[in-house]
Amino acid sequence: MPADLRRAQPAELTLGQRARLRLATLAGEAAAVASRAANKGSGASIKGQVLTRLCPDAFAWLLRGRRVLAVSGTNGKTTTTHLLAAAVAEALGDQADRLVTNADGANLRYGIASALSQDRRADIAVLETDERVVSDMIAQARPEVLVFLNFSRDQLDRHHEIKALGKAWRAALERAGQAGPVVVGNASDPLVVWSAQTAARVVWVDTPGKWNADSALCPACGAVLERVAADTRAAQGCAEAGGSAGVGRTRDEAAAGAVPVGEAGTGESGGGEAASETGLGPSTSWRCPECPLAQPEAEYRVRGGEIVLPDGRAVVPGLRVPGSFNVSNAALALAAAAALGIDPDAALRGMRRVEAPAGRFATARFGATTARLMLAKNPAGWAEAIALLESDPVVLAIDSVAADGKDVSWLWDVDYEQLAGRRVVCTGPRAQDLAVRLGYADVSHTVAPDLAEALAGVAGPATVDVIATYTPFQKLLKMAGLR
Amino acid sequence: MKICLVYQSLLGIYGDRGNAMVLRQRLARRGLPAELVAVEPGDAVPPDGGVYLLGGGEDAAQVSAVKYLRQDGNLARAVADGAVLFAVCAGYQIVGRSFTVGDDDRVVEGLGLLDVETRRGDERAVGEILSTWQAGPIAGSPAGPTAITGFENHGGHTFLGDGASPLARVEIGVGNNGDGTEGAVQGRVIGTYPHGPVLARNPALADHLLELALGEALEPLPDPEVDELRRQRVAAIRAARR
Repeated sequence: MPADLRRAQPAELTLGQRARLRLATLAGEAAAVASRAANKGSGASIKGQVLTRLCPDAFAWLLRGRRVLAVSGTNGKTTTTHLLAAAVAEALGDQADRLVTNADGANLRYGIASALSQDRRADIAVLETDERVVSDMIAQARPEVLVFLNFSRDQLDRHHEIKALGKAWRAALERAGQAGPVVVGNASDPLVVWSAQTAARVVWVDTPGKWNADSALCPACGAVLERVAADTRAAQGCAEAGGSAGVGRTRDEAAAGAVPVGEAGTGESGGGEAASETGLGPSTSWRCPECPLAQPEAEYRVRGGEIVLPDGRAVVPGLRVPGSFNVSNAALALAAAAALGIDPDAALRGMRRVEAPAGRFATARFGATTARLMLAKNPAGWAEAIALLESDPVVLAIDSVAADGKDVSWLWDVDYEQLAGRRVVCTGPRAQDLAVRLGYADVSHTVAPDLAEALAGVAGPATVDVIATYTPFQKLLKMAGLR
Repeated sequence: MKICLVYQSLLGIYGDRGNAMVLRQRLARRGLPAELVAVEPGDAVPPDGGVYLLGGGEDAAQVSAVKYLRQDGNLARAVADGAVLFAVCAGYQIVGRSFTVGDDDRVVEGLGLLDVETRRGDERAVGEILSTWQAGPIAGSPAGPTAITGFENHGGHTFLGDGASPLARVEIGVGNNGDGTEGAVQGRVIGTYPHGPVLARNPALADHLLELALGEALEPLPDPEVDELRRQRVAAIRAARR
């Protein structure tokens, strides 16, 4: 076992604290039962509200004294948390019970407190953390490692401004100063880089992505960022994007590849598109023409489905979770594990055991239908999920309650034109919005708002791929008995 | 007809590029030639567009968009020559005389194509919006009140000057500033708050823009799927108010 996995001592709660926590938990559970009986939903939210009201310090109490590794960002939090937890568990070996994690994806204060209260003795906590909780996490948990995955448009009815979250993270890291965490950050995301500028130490990971429509402007000064071909290895995989000369043109192609209006509207495909399909991504490096902010030199790099380690050795991740974005998630998890002194081979051994984190990518039976379940919550997530679709027909489920984002305008930021030639079943409470979107995209489709009905309609021997927003995804897991 | 989608990378975070897709498709389905051109900062804005579209975005993006559009100059020239400009949310604010940005509410001069001013409101307007638009005769339909549905999400309150008139009356939601008006019209410049995108949810408004740009009436384009979506959304918005 590496020396860096030394044991820590979670703070003992006083009798008074324990009693208060227990009372608050019981009251929260009672409220949840009442809420369910009144058919108002799962009750998880009211449970959290009651617990936080009765015991506002639960989050801080339960974190005290533990060694914390936190994971946040718009997309990939749950999977990356599972990958990192698996890496740590592998390194702990027969002491794996020292690890606690919120594996269910409950990542607000209450969800984190709830996970920690299940296991009071575990001294190492790997915690998925909602973007809005990161500042408190930095201040109250003093995490050793903080993984910043990415930022993109998501639930704008609630967040309003993508940059506001980054501002809060930046301020929290500044306050933490030298005692702050080692940030493991995605160097390809300008807002992540800007947010982490105030951190005591950062390990950068260069990850190609399919979505950069939310990083047009420099977060520091507001100038339009330039994108330039990053390196020749990447250029071999994306001749079109790499072949164009001139910074301005490259930037335009990057934007067109992420939001291929040209393809949707005029048949002029964006230059980045062909490269995206290979999973390599149009590997570009960004920089601000008007201030010093630029993509930092990375210690870890994802290239062609492999992870290049700081010593130059390339490792094949061999994950069970699919998709190039999960290779990026694994690279960030690998760097986070390394910050604890965990060797990459051990980390990868652990990560290869992760199969369906909190139901993502799970294959499940629904009567005579076998379905593979994928979650996508925003345009960046959909761009990655659509690339993984293998079946015909496919089922797409849309809802618009608070957890999904109440405004479904984002449907028009997703490149559903790629689905032309396939049959799509639109389901969920906002199936009709999707139907209109697909109509304008010339994608053939049917509408079945009820999830069970939609799945029954695609029964057959072949596995059907399903992509769902948050709420229908949770409903599907429940229907399949997966949670 | 050339449809120009202007600065998606700056003003495009709420799916408003869909407005361009809808306009293009509604021309194509009628067998009319349509070209969609997306321009980014640094590219010249085409001088010969029929309809120009601006969408929603964040404060810093608004400031940059004004800077580039003023440097380029083609949008203002095209509007002066009679082109249609349809601007949504942040785009609506920047085509006005002035708007505010940042935590300190700095006043920024807009493009001045629409006689409106925007200042930060007390409370952010976030939610479904339903308004009534007094449409002229469109695509073979007689003139009359038409529902406009969408989702508004804006911190600014917009006040109309004498040169502009409201686009619609609010039934449910906030609209310009809570005074019951929504959007603004001045000649062939139209500003409005709802996303959806608004032209996907409200095809009559899309056809109105096309007829303005073409200078001729269009054939009706029946679309039961959109009719059903409109029925669902209007019912949902009214039910939520009760």
